[in-house]
Amino acid sequence: MIDLQLAQLIVNGIALGCIIALASVGLTLTCGILRLSNFAHGDLLTLGAYLALLGNSMGLNIWLAIALAIVGTVLISLVTEKLIWAPMRDRRADSTTLIIISIGLALFIRNGLIFIWGGGNQTYDLPVQPALDFWGLKVKTYSLVVVVLTAIATVGLHFLLQKTKIGKAMRAVADDTDLALVTGINVNRVVIWTWVIAAGLTALGGGMYGLLEAVRPNMGWFLILPMFASVILGGIGNPYGAIAGSLIVGLAQEVSTYWLPTEYKLAVALLMVIVVLLIRPQGLFKGTA
Amino acid sequence: MVGYLTSLITLTSVFALFSLGLNVQWGMTGLINFGHVAFMTVGAYATVLLSSNGVPLVFAVLAGAALASVLGLIVGASTLRLREDYLAIVTIGVSEVVRLVALNEEWLTRGARGVASYPLPLEDLDATWPVRIGAIALWTLIFAYGLKKLWGWTRGWNRAERTADERNKSRPLRRLMVGAATVTTGIILYGVGIAALYGFNFRAGLMLLASTVLVAVYSQLERLGRSPWGRVLKAIREDEEVAKALGKNVFWYKLQSLMLGGAIAGIAGSFYAWQLTFINPDGFIPLMTFQAWTIVVLGGAGNNTGTLLGAAIFWAYTTLTRFGLPAILPLDDARLGAFRIMVIGLILIVVMMLRPQGMLGRKEELTLGR
Repeated sequence: MIDLQLAQLIVNGIALGCIIALASVGLTLTCGILRLSNFAHGDLLTLGAYLALLGNSMGLNIWLAIALAIVGTVLISLVTEKLIWAPMRDRRADSTTLIIISIGLALFIRNGLIFIWGGGNQTYDLPVQPALDFWGLKVKTYSLVVVVLTAIATVGLHFLLQKTKIGKAMRAVADDTDLALVTGINVNRVVIWTWVIAAGLTALGGGMYGLLEAVRPNMGWFLILPMFASVILGGIGNPYGAIAGSLIVGLAQEVSTYWLPTEYKLAVALLMVIVVLLIRPQGLFKGTA
Repeated sequence: MVGYLTSLITLTSVFALFSLGLNVQWGMTGLINFGHVAFMTVGAYATVLLSSNGVPLVFAVLAGAALASVLGLIVGASTLRLREDYLAIVTIGVSEVVRLVALNEEWLTRGARGVASYPLPLEDLDATWPVRIGAIALWTLIFAYGLKKLWGWTRGWNRAERTADERNKSRPLRRLMVGAATVTTGIILYGVGIAALYGFNFRAGLMLLASTVLVAVYSQLERLGRSPWGRVLKAIREDEEVAKALGKNVFWYKLQSLMLGGAIAGIAGSFYAWQLTFINPDGFIPLMTFQAWTIVVLGGAGNNTGTLLGAAIFWAYTTLTRFGLPAILPLDDARLGAFRIMVIGLILIVVMMLRPQGMLGRKEELTLGR
């Protein structure tokens, strides 16, 4: 019989891993297909959480608010694509230039949110749900919701990537952009769809994170390291790898608090990145980039 | 007023020094260091803690710089062989972990309560007349050095710029106007410095020390940039494969660059701690790193003079918005602060998109953004 505290940490770790998974699938697609290491990705998650907060504070049901937040985040990410990323791609800008621009964008989005909503912690207006009790193990109802929704999103993504034409095109572009171009794949359409999926899933992750914890301007920024850790662990550009990586990182972060002080959770993610980079820089699974 | 401007000169020097460290790493070598503040944190805490325990200040500063470069060694050894964006990710993480250590290891750093009342340089210096006159003479020397550099720049004397293309584009009138504006600002600051040094106190001494170290580091970096070593770094920045084909040990050069930049940031950290006279982890947030990035990108990657200009513009911007913005926008402090950082983010985006070489960088030299 494993001890209850450890079991509790495992449950928390799975919930956290699911949220990281939703975001890092998006990040791995932007890395793999758009060749963009987007450091503003965490702030896209925060944006989703705040847009859901906006809808929720106007009296909308939380699920409807999250759905609208997904739409809003996708639209904003498409605006950044039109204004920033598309022109830079046309100029064949190198990856370091893009990384610096993404940091500027991250500062802009995060502080834009503080400018509108202030720097304090906020919460959704949610009906209080008692925690479920499994033989003494407390599971928040919303943690269960997060896990179920992530599973549904993953299945949907799998279907999209494997069965639909656009999904196949996306995988082709991720494998080899030039080859995809000469086979007549409409790369622009792939780019738009990548943003729709990446931003949509990330905003969903933001909304879910807001269900579990307070909505605050730094929530996504502090996830950027676990996200990149998952992406690298899973092989850059491999969405299934990213999901597996996220669960590993989420679990490792939470379970580590059994032995380490809670404050050093972030160091666990960093350590995992460094170890993977030293031992297996291509990731645990096959990547594309 | 003089007191405020004295602090402003010190802070500008500290940020210029901090950014010069980043300019070695990013500007000269092309390393994406997103955790530059970690080096500063290590330098600041090492200096303060060692000197509190009786280590002479000079050795405390050197130890801080050495520790900061060891941090560079550790970070670099694990990531510099791999893709460039991995360094960005790892450095962000390292800077956060360093801050977390400073926040939580209370036995060492006193955590969030911070460290105060540590030894400061020139604190109990007896400011006799010869000392004051010497200080003013040194200040004059720094001013003269600045004038000489500016004169050379206005006339386009820098031999490296003497290609036909450069001469056509150098726009002497614009250079003259910018030069005149800089001279005017310089003379005002020079006067402020003299007034401060005349009524000598700790702040004035710190200003003089920080500017002296800044000039020393700047001139050495200029020399290094033109040396074979600096040229290898620039070759690595432009095309690693070329440097490799020439038989250069790219990894080793990158590591040296990361360590040197880290050591400079560590020294900047010592001065930052002395200027603040109280440090806690809140002073070393990731935003510091990105302020340095804005300074380097704005001034022009790889151009040390540009970095100095960027630091001056950054502090002018900070000061003006701190006092000017509340008059225009009736908002609370958090929102005003957020607005100022939004502008910084926007500057980073716009400069990288439209003028990746920054204000003084040389487009011919950079493949950046092409």
